[in-house]
Amino acid sequence: MTTMTETQTSRVRSTAGTKGVTFAGVLRSEWIKLFSLMSTRILLLLTLVAIIGVGALAVLIRFSFLDEMARQARDQGQTLTPEMMSQTFPPGSGFDLYNLPNAGLQIGILVLGSLAVLFISSEYATGMIRSTMNAVPRRTPAFVAKAILLAVISYVITTIAAVATFLIAMPVFQGLGLDLDWSTDGVLYSVFTGGLYVAGVALIGLSLGALLRNSAGGITVLVGLFFVLSIAASFMTFIPGDFWKYVPQYLPSDAGGRFLSIGHTDGVIDPWQGGLIFLGYVLLFLVPAMIVLKKRDV
Amino acid sequence: MIEATGLSKVYGSKTAVEGVSFTVKAGQVTGFLGPNGAGKSTTMRMIMGLDRPTSGTVTVNGLHYADHKAPLHEVGALLDAKAVHISRSAYNHLRAMAATHNIPTSRVHEVIEMTGLEAVARKKAGGFSLGMGQRLGIANALLGDPQTLILDEPVNGLDPEGVLWVRNLVRYLAGQGKTVFLSSHLMSEMAQTADHLIVIGRGKIIADAPVQDIIAGTRQVKTLVRTSAATQLSALLSGDGVTVDQGQPETLEVTGLDARKIAQVALDNRVLVYELTPQQSSLEDAYFDLTKDEVEYHSHLTGGPAGEFAPETAPATAGK
Repeated sequence: MTTMTETQTSRVRSTAGTKGVTFAGVLRSEWIKLFSLMSTRILLLLTLVAIIGVGALAVLIRFSFLDEMARQARDQGQTLTPEMMSQTFPPGSGFDLYNLPNAGLQIGILVLGSLAVLFISSEYATGMIRSTMNAVPRRTPAFVAKAILLAVISYVITTIAAVATFLIAMPVFQGLGLDLDWSTDGVLYSVFTGGLYVAGVALIGLSLGALLRNSAGGITVLVGLFFVLSIAASFMTFIPGDFWKYVPQYLPSDAGGRFLSIGHTDGVIDPWQGGLIFLGYVLLFLVPAMIVLKKRDV
Repeated sequence: MIEATGLSKVYGSKTAVEGVSFTVKAGQVTGFLGPNGAGKSTTMRMIMGLDRPTSGTVTVNGLHYADHKAPLHEVGALLDAKAVHISRSAYNHLRAMAATHNIPTSRVHEVIEMTGLEAVARKKAGGFSLGMGQRLGIANALLGDPQTLILDEPVNGLDPEGVLWVRNLVRYLAGQGKTVFLSSHLMSEMAQTADHLIVIGRGKIIADAPVQDIIAGTRQVKTLVRTSAATQLSALLSGDGVTVDQGQPETLEVTGLDARKIAQVALDNRVLVYELTPQQSSLEDAYFDLTKDEVEYHSHLTGGPAGEFAPETAPATAGK
């Protein structure tokens, strides 16, 4: 059998290459696929702009709020110290300045998550998936290559946007006398973990695309999972009894949100626990998607 | 070489392919013929590992397609001309496919040139005509300069020049010692292109023989006779194993007797015959005979030598 394969390969003309399938080749193939679509290039650029834009808006809102407070204090003949300003943001309220880099994260989740669904569901819709599976008949390498590519791109874009957002925020709040720079507690953590969360959402999106093989269905489930479910669960807190108050934090979006905050807060899971729960959700979608992709007829 | 053994595929309650076994040899063009829905595409998808067989196995050059280290160099397939992202250019599609096997971009340009796609290579594949889509599919199949070529309805939508091109291409590749397996429902195309035929009907192989044997063996020779005394000659010719059809006035179609014997009968009885033409049996006739009732012919046709192909009792009016 081996000798047969060797003779077959040696008969191949050199112009077509003789290396065979390599993972690096599959990765490059997926890269070409992703960036050879005009829509992807435009979408990625707009996502970057949108995340920074929403971040800048968040900076503006907080600045106006503080500026107004300072003005009122001045009118009453007092001076508002930076310490007093800081205290207007109680810990865990979500108004901390350290997580400003991730202010536009929801846009990233929505767009990059949808892009991830489309990256594979559009192949099913157009029939491209059959060409893909012909070239990579073991299938799993193609899916893994897609996953790596999406995770890296999501991480890079989100992190660039986070740095840019913070570069906008820093001088604004320093101008108010607030202590905010790269060394502020939680800033670097926020800058480098926001992308992990978005990358995880992208992986869930890719998995949904592979499982449902349908663009609209995949995006709908993704939005349901990360936006609608969280809102719906917030109503649970109105149910009498303490138990229901602790349920929503285990949802993918809330666990991810906890992962992006710093420090221990009583009554909620710690960031590392949130991170682990979120990772669990990613695997919960990723593993079945890989199994189904390998087994199902295309 | 493609070897299928007991290959079956069941979709829900529908059996698409049922216990199919065949061998496609290198160095010749093997046609895969059958009516729509007979199981041609399903069989080809199973060869390429896109569909998982319900039972049985199929190997290409000794291995399952997916087990080859360089699948695109082993087998090039055109299964579905629309297996392309509509918003991607033909060039980028081929480049992405080539990248998986580290096939150089020069080869991409080569296949674009071979298939005559230069003018549209940078345009979105979604806007391609059926013929252009077929050319792109063929370019995709040739990308890895494969040892085996599997083409599902390759001439669909091609212009006459394209049909001729595909015919010459597959003949050339078979001449190079490659395995060529091509499906079609166009019998005239098969008659001109293929050396060997595998005929499939309702998921079962009903014939597996050289093209000439199928044409010659399936149907008895038919002879067109024009005579001034049609009714009289008809009565004289009729007999055991001979059927006579009287169509137009003064015209008979005789099956079961060759032209020489008909002339002898006419001479003996002093009947004027002014035309006596043996009708060349076409692949089309053979095909209709074969697919008419696959079960009846099944045991006669699979694997048997050419002479045994003729059914013992061929209904005379078949194939009209």
